[in-house]
Amino acid sequence: MRSYQEELKYLERVNDHCWHIKKGFVDNMKVDGYFFANSHLEKLMFDELRQSCNNKGFGGFLPGMKQIANVAALPGIVGKSIGLPDVHSGYGFAIGNMAAFDMSNPKAVVSPGGVGFDINCGVRLLRTNLHRRDVEPLQEQLAQCLFDHIPVGVGSKGIIPMTAQNLEEALEMGVDWSLREGYAWAEDKEHCEEYGRMLQADPSKVSSRAKKRGLPQMLVIRRKKMGIEFKDQVCVMIHSGSRGMGHQVATDALVAMEKAMKRDQIEVNDRQLACAHIQSNEGQDYLKGMAAAANYAWVNRTSMTFLSRQAFAKMFNTTPDDLDMHVIYDVSHNIAKVEEHFIDGKQKTLLVHRKGSTRAFPPHHPLIPVDYQVKENKLLGVDCPVGHEYPPWYPWTSMQDTGTEQGMVETFGTTCHGAGRALSRAKSRRNLDYTDVLNALQEKGISIRVASPKLVMEEAPESYKNVTDVVDTCHAAGISKKAIKLRPIAVIKG
Amino acid sequence: MDEEENEGRLLEEGEAPKIPEEKFEYLDHTADVQLHAWGADLKESYEQVAMAMFNYMTTDYSKVEMKHVYEVEVSGEDLLSLLYQFLDEFLFIFSAEPFYIPRVVQITEFDTENFKIKAKGFGEPFDISKHPQGTEVKAITYSNMQVHADKEMHDVFVIIDI
Repeated sequence: MRSYQEELKYLERVNDHCWHIKKGFVDNMKVDGYFFANSHLEKLMFDELRQSCNNKGFGGFLPGMKQIANVAALPGIVGKSIGLPDVHSGYGFAIGNMAAFDMSNPKAVVSPGGVGFDINCGVRLLRTNLHRRDVEPLQEQLAQCLFDHIPVGVGSKGIIPMTAQNLEEALEMGVDWSLREGYAWAEDKEHCEEYGRMLQADPSKVSSRAKKRGLPQMLVIRRKKMGIEFKDQVCVMIHSGSRGMGHQVATDALVAMEKAMKRDQIEVNDRQLACAHIQSNEGQDYLKGMAAAANYAWVNRTSMTFLSRQAFAKMFNTTPDDLDMHVIYDVSHNIAKVEEHFIDGKQKTLLVHRKGSTRAFPPHHPLIPVDYQVKENKLLGVDCPVGHEYPPWYPWTSMQDTGTEQGMVETFGTTCHGAGRALSRAKSRRNLDYTDVLNALQEKGISIRVASPKLVMEEAPESYKNVTDVVDTCHAAGISKKAIKLRPIAVIKG
Repeated sequence: MDEEENEGRLLEEGEAPKIPEEKFEYLDHTADVQLHAWGADLKESYEQVAMAMFNYMTTDYSKVEMKHVYEVEVSGEDLLSLLYQFLDEFLFIFSAEPFYIPRVVQITEFDTENFKIKAKGFGEPFDISKHPQGTEVKAITYSNMQVHADKEMHDVFVIIDI
């Protein structure tokens, strides 16, 4: 095992916001690793590495840098393994890690560890025509009303009635199912990545175990949802994924792929990076099941949209239509997708894994919503990332960036997904007192409703990287440009 | 194990086991949480790590009463996959009908040659009006999973996805 000083020999600063992880940092690296970080963010990455060296193989976890490098050792990877500025240690891929695999290479792989367990966890932003002054007097009641309307937290059950047959259809159709059932507006899907439906979804590739986990959880919020304002205009941000269903799809695939790896003699550096050749049965089954879980996540976000619209309409004694509660965008930050990119000037079909990272294509790209293709026409932001993990303390709680041409080259059109954690949840729970945290929120005029008050510490500012560092690094590196900022006024969290 | 048959049964009087001493802790991990459990033997470490997982889902584990017993049976290909399957099976009965949270987990058969476990969970269905919500554990990971079978404390480390 190498010492920390020895490890440092494999790391080289490229410029003020980018580091290079050289081959040899872990075994079998096929390409180099890179991660984006400014001087503040890089410290956190090096701390993880140092801590891991100190553990000497007993307990501990793999530092993000090692995970980026392990991804660089996967068969069929092209270009580089990339850590975005919010990158930190995860499992399998780091969180905030992306990598692309060449579909024309029969050895290239798909890895559930590159998507994450919460398949199609993502963020949706709704607008309203309300201003801060309209909401302020009702802020507490509004937070309570949203909390009452939307089930949150562990053990909660969904409130939109679901049958096993409904679930099958929802898995196949995504937002189209919600539309048919009357929970969505026709124009909602226009602003969703993939139009809210992955066509390769095959519900028969989702195990009955996963469906059993999925059925009661339709429409339960996972992390948080915020009433936020942008230049005095009130918006609603919804952050959730596929929950237990996605997790079971990932777990099932992991177990199936472990066997396939033995058969196909695929070796990986980390057991959590279990993978299969893209064209193998296991690889195809996973991609079809993943797409079904992604559709489920879109139905979930759509259902929450429906309930948010109802809650607002009730509070303001009007209709969602009159409140102009349109979807601005809906983006995914845990997904693998087939995309066309240019490698050394040649067009290639790639399977792009984005884990804790967000697609950010530039204007004019054919896959972004038509309203946003011409920049001047944009409603608010472009196809862009949203900071779900930005704690409510920062003045810029959420940032909507626009993708760039440079990002297409540097990061396969990918940017950050949030602030990223800096402190473990366990440490947050130990070191911080929840009453202090709640008081601090109150001082800032932020209403909060949580499933359990003790969970609020996990959202304390100390728990996160500085969001300004993260977004500024994206901006400076040219992978996405700052567009608008949002400030929280109410937070509902499970 | 056939899930359809796993409906559990009510405990008979005096059948509830004694609540064992806690032999687990939560270690820091940037995104998630790492369970560290130990015991007099590996069987106890496995039992403890399962209880560590459930303890994380409620902020007051003592509110969980032992009214029912559920049995699970799993197999693996080595110690790590056995541990993964064991925890995943228990997570499943929490995550789907009957949403069951055990207060005590007991392994009744622990076969480390053929990698098979039979275990019982003593508890009740999770009820948010009775059990204060903790953080939901959503998946078990292999990430840096460690089973130190030869160490004195039989240390087990598992990173769970929350």
